[in-house]
Amino acid sequence: MKKELIKLNHISKAFDGELILDDLNLVIHENEFVTLLGPSGCGKTTTLRIIGGFETPDKGNVVFDGVDITDLAPNKRQLNTVFQKYALFTHMDVAENIAFGLKIRNKPQEFIEDKINYALKLVNLEGYEHRMPNSLSGGQQQRVAIARAIVNEPKVLLLDEPLGALDLKLRQDMQYELIRLKEELGITFIYVTHDQEEALTMSDHIVVMNQGYIQQEGSPEDIYNEPENAFVADFIGDSNIISSTMVKDELVNILGVDFVCVDKGFGEMKPVDVVIRPEDVELVPKGEGTISGVVSHVIFKGVHYEMEVTARGYKWLVHSTKLSEAGSEVDIKVDPFNIQVMNKPESEDEEALNPDAD
Amino acid sequence: MRSKIEKLYTGIIFIFMYAPIVTLMVLSFNSSKSRAKWGGFTLKWYINLIHDSSVLNAMANTLVIALISTVIATVIGTITCVGLMGVNRRSRAVIMGITNIPMINADIVTGISLMLLFKVLHFETGFVSVLIAHITFNIPYVMLAVLPAMKTIDPNVYEAALDLGAKPFHAFRKAVLPNLTSSVLAGALMAFTMSIDDFIITYFTKGSGFDTLSTKIYNEVKRGIRPEIYAISTIIFAVVIVLLMMSERMRNRHASVRKDAPLYKVEKRISRRRFILMLVPAFAIIILGMYFGGVFKRKSNQLFVYNAGEYIDPEIIEMFSEETGIEVIYDEFETLEIMYAKIYQDDAAYDVLCPSDYMIAKLIDNDMIQELDLDKIPNRKNIGQQYMEASKAFDPGNKYAIPYCWGTVGILYNTTMVDEPPTSWDVLWDEKGAGEILMQDSIRDAFMVALIRNGFDPNTTDPEELAIAADDLIAQKPLVQAYVIDQAKDKMIGGEAAYAVTYSGDVMEAMAGNEDLDYVVPEEGSNVWLDCWVVTKKARNPEAAMKWIDFMCRPDIALKNFEFIMYSTPNTAAWEMIEDEELKNSEVAFPGDDVLKRCTSYTYLGEEGDQLYNDMWKKVKTGE
Repeated sequence: MKKELIKLNHISKAFDGELILDDLNLVIHENEFVTLLGPSGCGKTTTLRIIGGFETPDKGNVVFDGVDITDLAPNKRQLNTVFQKYALFTHMDVAENIAFGLKIRNKPQEFIEDKINYALKLVNLEGYEHRMPNSLSGGQQQRVAIARAIVNEPKVLLLDEPLGALDLKLRQDMQYELIRLKEELGITFIYVTHDQEEALTMSDHIVVMNQGYIQQEGSPEDIYNEPENAFVADFIGDSNIISSTMVKDELVNILGVDFVCVDKGFGEMKPVDVVIRPEDVELVPKGEGTISGVVSHVIFKGVHYEMEVTARGYKWLVHSTKLSEAGSEVDIKVDPFNIQVMNKPESEDEEALNPDAD
Repeated sequence: MRSKIEKLYTGIIFIFMYAPIVTLMVLSFNSSKSRAKWGGFTLKWYINLIHDSSVLNAMANTLVIALISTVIATVIGTITCVGLMGVNRRSRAVIMGITNIPMINADIVTGISLMLLFKVLHFETGFVSVLIAHITFNIPYVMLAVLPAMKTIDPNVYEAALDLGAKPFHAFRKAVLPNLTSSVLAGALMAFTMSIDDFIITYFTKGSGFDTLSTKIYNEVKRGIRPEIYAISTIIFAVVIVLLMMSERMRNRHASVRKDAPLYKVEKRISRRRFILMLVPAFAIIILGMYFGGVFKRKSNQLFVYNAGEYIDPEIIEMFSEETGIEVIYDEFETLEIMYAKIYQDDAAYDVLCPSDYMIAKLIDNDMIQELDLDKIPNRKNIGQQYMEASKAFDPGNKYAIPYCWGTVGILYNTTMVDEPPTSWDVLWDEKGAGEILMQDSIRDAFMVALIRNGFDPNTTDPEELAIAADDLIAQKPLVQAYVIDQAKDKMIGGEAAYAVTYSGDVMEAMAGNEDLDYVVPEEGSNVWLDCWVVTKKARNPEAAMKWIDFMCRPDIALKNFEFIMYSTPNTAAWEMIEDEELKNSEVAFPGDDVLKRCTSYTYLGEEGDQLYNDMWKKVKTGE
C-alpha cells in the first residue's frame, strides 16, 4: 500500500452563499497520478485550490504528510501549480520565469543555471532561454509553466486543466509528455480536467466529481467499466442509460424484455438504472437478438460507425466497426457481463447529483 | 499635388500647435516689456527670475504639490485598484462610479465643496489643504489608467508567484506590478499634469499667502503678465521636452539590450534605468526637505500683507524681514473689490492691507479693520500734515489708516499719435481716437470719468446721473481698444494706444520707458486718491503689522520705495531727501495746488450705492 500524502477531511466551501464543496473527503497517495474529473462547477478546481492554499475551506482540514496545512500560506507549501492559462510572467524571459522560485529560495547562480538547463531539457525547450513568453506557442508556454513549477522539486504538482487551451493534436502529445514527466520525476500529480479521455489516458486514480460531491473514485478501468451511478456512466464516455426493473438476482427487465445479467443483491422487482456502453451493444440479423429495432442514423467516425437504433421506444447508441445501413431492421444483443446495473437515486439530494437521469 | 496639400495641411497643424509656444518663447527674450514691440534680445527676464522669490516660490509649491500628490494618489489609486479586483463586478462598478465623481464633477464645484469642508472642519487652508485637494482629484485619474490594465492581468499570475514561494508583497511587486508599470506611470503622469494644470480647485483651497504657479500667473494675467512669467514658462516647456526625449531614448535603449545576455544572472545589477528611477524619489525628498525646512519653521512669526500689484519694492520686504525677523507672506490683489471680497471671507487671514480712501471707509463701516496702536508707529510723524488731514475724509480721527501713496487719475497720451495735447476727458469720446483708447477696468475710475465729463459729482448715487454716465460709457465703447488695469502702462510704452486713463504713479514709469508719452489731469477735474496701510480686525499678528507700518513710514524706506514704484509719496521727510531736482518738482508726481483743487477723492457709497455702481457697470460691460 502506498503512503498517504494528502488527506482532505470533511471539507466544505461556499462562495457567495452557494455551496461548492460539501463534506468532501479525499485521500491522495504518494506517487499517484490523480485526476479530479467533472463538469465545470463541480468543485474540482476549488478542491485543487484548497490543496494549493489559494482558498481556505469553510469547514474541514487539509493534512499534508501528516501535518495540518489548512491555514498555511501557499508560498509555504511544498507543492507547485501549473495554471490553466499558464500564468507566466510576461515581463521575464523563459529563463527568468523558471528561475523565479529558485531565486526566492536564494539558490546559487550555478545551481539555478543547472536547473534551468535540466528543466528545459525535460520539457523539450532547449534553446528557448531568452525567448519572451508572448513569442511562444500555447504548448511551449505550457511547457515553460511546467518547467517553472518542477524546478522547485515539489512533492506534489497541481495541474489545473493545463491542456484546456491547446488544440487536439497538441493535447494528445502533451498527455504522453505528462505521463513521461510524472514517471521521470517520481512525484505526485494532481490533475484537474473535465475531459474524461484525458483522465482515462493519464491517471492512476480518478475522482469523479459533480456538484460538490465525489461520485466515484477508482482506477480508470473501474470507473469506465463499472460506473456506480448514471452520472458517472454518462460522464465517462457515451452510454445507454435505461430505466429498468431488477426482476431478481441476475435478471433485469429492460424495456419490457428480460435480460440476463451478472449483478446481484438489488432485491426483487426494484427500479434500477442500467448502463450499456455503445460498443457493448451488438447488432445481429433480425431474429437472432433480444430486442428488435430499426437503424435510424449512421455517422462514420473513422475508427467505427456510430449508429442510432430505435428499439422499443428507446434510441440506442451503438458503436461498431460493422456497418448496418440506415433503415435496416436489426436485433440487439448484449453480453450479460456488459450490463451494468445501478441503484436509482433515492433521496432528492441524490437526484440533484444526477441531472441527466430522466 | 496631393503631397503638397498633405504637407501644407501638416504645416498648418504644426503652426496651430506650436505658434503660441513659439510666441511665448520669443517674448521671453524680448528686452522690451511690451508685447507689441521687439526691444532686442535679452536674458534679463531669466536672470530676474533667479531673484524673483515669489515666482520661484510658486514654482516650488507647484512642483512639491504635484510630486507629493502624484506619489500619494498613485499609491492609493493603485492599491484601490488591487482591492477592487477582489470584489464582485457590481460593487466594483459602484465604487468606480463613486471615485470618479471628483473627475466628472465640475472643478468649481469640487473646489467650493473642498473649501467649505476645510472651513467647517476649521482646517487651516494653505499647503496641506491644497495637497489634500490635489490628492483627492488625482486618485480617479490614476485609477482610470490602472484599472483597465489590472483587469487584463490573469489573477493566476499573482497566485503563481505565491505558489513559487514569493511572499504576498514580493509576489505583487515582482509578478503583477511590472505588468502595470506603464499604466501606473501613465496614471502618475496624468495625475502630475493635472496637478500642475489645476487652477480652480487650488484657487479655492489655497487660502492666503500660498500660491502655485497657476494661481500666481492668474493674478498676473489680471494685471498684465510680467516677462519673467514668459521666461519660467519657457523653462518649463524646455524641461518637459528634454524629459520626454530622455524617456524616449531610455526606452529605445532598453529594447535593444538582451541579445547576448548570459543564461541567468543572480547578482543584482543596478541598471541605468533603475538608477534614474531611484533618482526621482531622492530628488523629491531633497525638495521636500528644503521646502519643509524653510517654510514651516517660523510659522509663529509671520505677517500676511495684502497689497495691490507691483506696488512695493520687493527688496523692502526682504529688508523688513531681515531687520525684524518677521517672515512676510506677501500677496497681491487686482482690484480693491476683489480684495474686499477676499477679506470678507473668513479664510483670508491677512494682517495688513493697503486699500484706497473709499474702501477704507467701507472697511471701517463694516468693522473689518482695527484701530492702530499709534504709539508703535512713531515714524508716522514723517507723513505730511496735509495728507493726514486729507485722510480724515474717510478716517475722521486718523485712527485707522496711515497714508502710503497718493496720486491723481488722468490721461496718459502718446504725443506722436495725437494732433494736439488733450486737456479734456472729451478726447476719449472723439472719433479720431477710435481704437486708440484704453479705459480703466475699475468701476469707480470708469464712472468717475463719465460722471465728471457730464458735470456730475464722481461720488453721486443718483441713479439718473449714473444712468447718463453709463449710457455715455456705452456710447464710448466702440472707440475703446480695451478695458485694462495695469497693462495700460505696458501698452502705452509699446505704443499700442494713444490715450490711457491712468494713475499718476504709473505715468512716471511709463514716461521713463517711452519719452513720447505725456500726462494730463483734465481741466474738468478728476480723482485724487490716497492709499493707506490698515490692519484687519482678524489680524493674527497685529504686533508685526504695526512694525510693518512703522517701517514703511521710515524716510529712507519710503524714499527707496518711491524710487522703485514711482508713486507719489506722502512722506515729506522722504520727499525732501529726493536728490533728482526734476523728479522732486515733477508736476506728475507732486502736482501743484491748482491741480489738486479740481480733484475730488472717492467716498464710500454704502452697500446700496456699491450695488448701484455694480449694476450699472455690468450694464456697461455687457452693453445692455
